[in-house]
Amino acid sequence: MTLRWRIAALVAAATCTAASAVGVLVHQASRDRELSQARDAASTTLDQAAMIYARTGAVHGSGAALDAPNLPSDLRDLVRRGHRGSRFATDPDGPAMWAARPAGGRVLSVRVDLGTTIRDLGALDTNILLAGLSTTAVVLPLGVFTAGRMSRRLRIAAGTARRIAAGELDARISAANRPHDEIAEISGAVDSMAAALQERLRSEQRFTADVAHELRTPLMGLVTAAELLPAEDEAAGYVRDRVRVLSTLVEDLLEISRLDAGAERADLTPSAVAPLVEEAVARTGLAATLCTERADGAARVWTDPRRLERILANLVVNAHRHGGGEVVVTVGDDGRTVTVRDHGPGYPQELLTGGPQRFRTGVKERGRGHGLGLTIALGQAQVLGAALEFGNAADGGAVAVLRLPEDHGEEPAEFEE
Amino acid sequence: MTPAPPAFTPPGSPTEAHLLLVEDDEVIRNTVRMALERYGFTVSTAADGLTGLEVFRECRPDLLLLDVMLPELDGIGLCRRIRELSLAPILMMSARGDALDVVSGLEAGADDYVVKPCESAVLVARIRSLLRRASLPSVPRNGADDASEAEPEVLVFGDLSIDPRGMEVRRGGELLALTPTELRVLLEFAASPGVVLERRTLLSRVWDHAWQGDTRVVDLHVQRLRAKIGAARIETVRGFGYKLRR
Repeated sequence: MTLRWRIAALVAAATCTAASAVGVLVHQASRDRELSQARDAASTTLDQAAMIYARTGAVHGSGAALDAPNLPSDLRDLVRRGHRGSRFATDPDGPAMWAARPAGGRVLSVRVDLGTTIRDLGALDTNILLAGLSTTAVVLPLGVFTAGRMSRRLRIAAGTARRIAAGELDARISAANRPHDEIAEISGAVDSMAAALQERLRSEQRFTADVAHELRTPLMGLVTAAELLPAEDEAAGYVRDRVRVLSTLVEDLLEISRLDAGAERADLTPSAVAPLVEEAVARTGLAATLCTERADGAARVWTDPRRLERILANLVVNAHRHGGGEVVVTVGDDGRTVTVRDHGPGYPQELLTGGPQRFRTGVKERGRGHGLGLTIALGQAQVLGAALEFGNAADGGAVAVLRLPEDHGEEPAEFEE
Repeated sequence: MTPAPPAFTPPGSPTEAHLLLVEDDEVIRNTVRMALERYGFTVSTAADGLTGLEVFRECRPDLLLLDVMLPELDGIGLCRRIRELSLAPILMMSARGDALDVVSGLEAGADDYVVKPCESAVLVARIRSLLRRASLPSVPRNGADDASEAEPEVLVFGDLSIDPRGMEVRRGGELLALTPTELRVLLEFAASPGVVLERRTLLSRVWDHAWQGDTRVVDLHVQRLRAKIGAARIETVRGFGYKLRR
């Protein structure tokens, strides 16, 4: 149930309860007052009639009666026992207040008709009911309206927060500043959180770019200088080789830090996966068997070819470096699942439980590679919105499954309200 | 992938192109100059933006290699100033490699960019691609050679007229100043009007970066081209690429 209808129901219940309580109290108070007035009037008349009776032995013209046949029987019993009393009762002539006292062995009684009073009370009840209903009729739409506005504002806030979470860091709720309004307060809080997040991200990105500049500038000199060394010199060969390793390492680290800083955005184009996979594998220069389960191969998905290539290249290189045996790359029949498997010892347990760790290569001697490849593949997969899972085949060998996201549509999905 | 030993191809045949390298890091300036000279280029150098501008005015090089972060006048500013004077090809070198460097450089009028560190072979390939664009009276390469003899009449699209042979583009009769790369992009569009050209296709045809290129280069050139020939002439087909409106 939405907040709006919950608040509306609450408002309706509160209004009805208040109207009923007021109605009952007013009804009760009016009735009591009327009855007590009637009782007093009856009592006064009775006393006067008693005096007349005592003097004249008759009650004519006093408004009282002797041994009235309609007198409620319990009141008659009371009088017979020598007491006086009064009682409200409804007899065949209608509602009335009776007062009675003993008078020389007979029962002297006065009847005050309350027909009009009771009718008035009924009219009052109707009026109270109408007033209650009209109050509800006025208050309920107001409640629904107010609750609807609150609910809408909250939804806008929630939607904006979701958009921010999805990476649209410029999104702001921009609620009007209303003092003492909790929704305005939470909207402001979400906005300032987003601004803080954005600023932090920007400074991370700036830092990453600055680090890149500081590392790449000397490296550029080194790379070019190493190329100028004599081609056939053995030592120069070592220098060039190490410079290349260092360059790759620096680029990998910078890539990870860009991924960590959340600075990466996918450049989505409709692409056919199978040819991309083929191209990516070919570019690694490593042997791999390619299988395409889908015959037509024309299925297009919205993805970023450069990132996809990067992921696949890293998986294939990793399969060769740490796996072994035949490396098989399979494009699933949905056209968006790519599996890279080898026939080596499989991924270490550590990687399966904790995911890829930087600089953990699985081999104790840490001979080749830096263990950054899978971290980068995982990070790039996240940028693509894809899932990358690592597992081991039952008959041995490591299996990495890349699942590209289901549906990207023409444009990134927008929050709908 | 294999470590290419510095290939001096073709050895002993100077390309005679004159390059201006503006770079503040002394080691990069000297090593890149030496490497390029081995490839047969004549290289002038400058260590800051203002000196770079001065040297440019004096020696009018065929191509400029500009670092982005320079003292005095930075690479972006220098690029903009040079564009006011000349349509010579400009290759930016960025060590940061972030959108700020890359996009601002291309917006300022650079033709292409490389991220440092890059091997001399890569740098030379980019330089050669740029020089080819600037020198050839370029006819779209999908036209055969002998066909191009008969073909090169002026192509007209609305108020736009393109003369592929004379490398002239006019809008409403007025001559437009297009950089060689902008012209090549426009000629690719003109060769297949109304057909959607994927960004990657343009990247490989105009820039010769077959695979690993950055498609922002294409986007920013189309943006610059639109500013010159009219925004409506080139349509964006979201996610796919661009097409020329007939």
